[in-house]
Amino acid sequence: MLAMIKRNLLLYFRDHSGVFFSLLGALISFVLYLVFLKKNMLASWHQMPDAKLMLDTWLIGGTLAITSITTTLTSLALMVTDKEKHIADDLTLTDAGPLHLFTSYLISAAVIGTLTQLAMFGIMWGGFYLTDGLTLSGTAVLNTLGLMVTSSLLAVVVNAAIVQGIHTVDSLGKLGTIIGTAAGFLVGTYIPIGALPSFAQSMVKFIPGSYVAALYRQFLMDDKLKSAFAGHLATRHTFERLMGIRLNWSTLLTQQETYLIMGLIFSGTVVLVFGLKWLQIQRRRQYLRER
Amino acid sequence: MLLEAQHLTKTFGDHIAVNAVDLQIEKGSFTALLGPNGAGKSTTMNMLIGLLQPTAGQVTYDHDPKLGVVFQGSVLDDILTVRENLQIRAGQYRHIPADRVTVLSQQLGLTAFMAQRYGTLSGGQRRRVDIARALINEPDILFLDEPTTGLDIQTRLAIWTLIQRLQREKKLTVILTTHYLDEADAADNVIVIDHGRILAQGTAADIKNRYAADRLTLTSPNVAQLAARVAQQPIRRTADQLVFSLPTMQAALDILTANRPLISNFEFRPGTMDDAFLALTGKEMR
Repeated sequence: MLAMIKRNLLLYFRDHSGVFFSLLGALISFVLYLVFLKKNMLASWHQMPDAKLMLDTWLIGGTLAITSITTTLTSLALMVTDKEKHIADDLTLTDAGPLHLFTSYLISAAVIGTLTQLAMFGIMWGGFYLTDGLTLSGTAVLNTLGLMVTSSLLAVVVNAAIVQGIHTVDSLGKLGTIIGTAAGFLVGTYIPIGALPSFAQSMVKFIPGSYVAALYRQFLMDDKLKSAFAGHLATRHTFERLMGIRLNWSTLLTQQETYLIMGLIFSGTVVLVFGLKWLQIQRRRQYLRER
Repeated sequence: MLLEAQHLTKTFGDHIAVNAVDLQIEKGSFTALLGPNGAGKSTTMNMLIGLLQPTAGQVTYDHDPKLGVVFQGSVLDDILTVRENLQIRAGQYRHIPADRVTVLSQQLGLTAFMAQRYGTLSGGQRRRVDIARALINEPDILFLDEPTTGLDIQTRLAIWTLIQRLQREKKLTVILTTHYLDEADAADNVIVIDHGRILAQGTAADIKNRYAADRLTLTSPNVAQLAARVAQQPIRRTADQLVFSLPTMQAALDILTANRPLISNFEFRPGTMDDAFLALTGKEMR
């Protein structure tokens, strides 16, 4: 399995232009946001202290959530390419076993997802440090780094569930475009969830990435929220609900509850994805045994 | 028998790709599946390997064999070096000695381009790397799907020599598909397959004897008189030449001795694999 993970990572990182465009793809929404939407949003926040820094961290959180979704999806493309080019046939002849092969694709995609988020985090923080003097506390950074791993794992299994039904690189590319375009809206990065119609709000709550985005915002914005809303807990809660910092089920979700929901989505999807794979393998085994 | 297939059949929708194929492969033998494009060679091979599930019939191995497969297209990664490609595949197997890739690279003459990216190699070099990949797990049976298609004649010859050497030295059982007739000539067992059916099976000499007629070309100053004296109808006739298609060399000798004064020159060509193949599969293109 290690050999296979090494292969997948080598294939991804040796293709320099691929890495570049993958980063640019994640960065483009961020840049477009700065150019077109930031000023508008700042204007509506003018009475809040530290509005600029607050919006910066809010944007970092949403962008990282999008990054985890899109980069893991692109990395999983290798699984489809290998199937299409009959490389998968060659791999099944080895002693590795289909479940190990499958897992190795998921692990390498998660590694790529984490590293890309790390790079994006560095670029965005660096940019905002230079323009707005953004600083972050050690706890915020540590929590964010931890969430990069969790969010990659979550995005990988969710994407794997989708990719399993796709057999050509061409259709995966088209799906990637759709997901890439939709992701910014679906996890509430471009437009805050509070500004959406109620149907769209419920839709956002169905997307696993929204919970990731919410957690990122909680970690990154906590210090600023504390000082900005000191003594105004009710106002803070309204703000958190409107901006998707905490998602609202019947009440606002706490950090633990958000993690729990992510954990449930993760376990459910893992069971689904590996269950399907296992069934596939059993069918094949049965045939081979009869042989 | 190392490998036996009984009534192997594969259909894709209405199309019957392989139709009730029976075959037996002996240990250490060299088998060529010979057939035109679309004859069902690769489908048959994929069922023998276990990559494709037959619609009917079965494949039986006498024990659990180690398989090595050289696929028709490349299955290695273009942007990785030859060494990386082979090392990664070696890592996918259990109990492979650490120096396996180095040993193979020496045996197959890959040392000069081990550090080069697979995608930058020439067709012949790639093929040798593909074969090295198939040999990583020291297989009992080596399958090759059109290993020499698209290569120039020198490279074809080199690859061919390499495969034969491997079969001899390592006691490998080799099964390959090809549409190059001269290649089938060297196999112990030739299976001519077309439209998913086995048309003929045996050694190359057998098949030529049975299906390829010998050809006798006579040059004569008096073609009309010569033609009248030979009972057999010529298959071609020109101003000074007659061409006969004959079942045996003996028949040719009889004609030559009986008409010696009328013959100024002659050419005798024993039936080739091409003749047998065309006789078996017909001349239409696909």
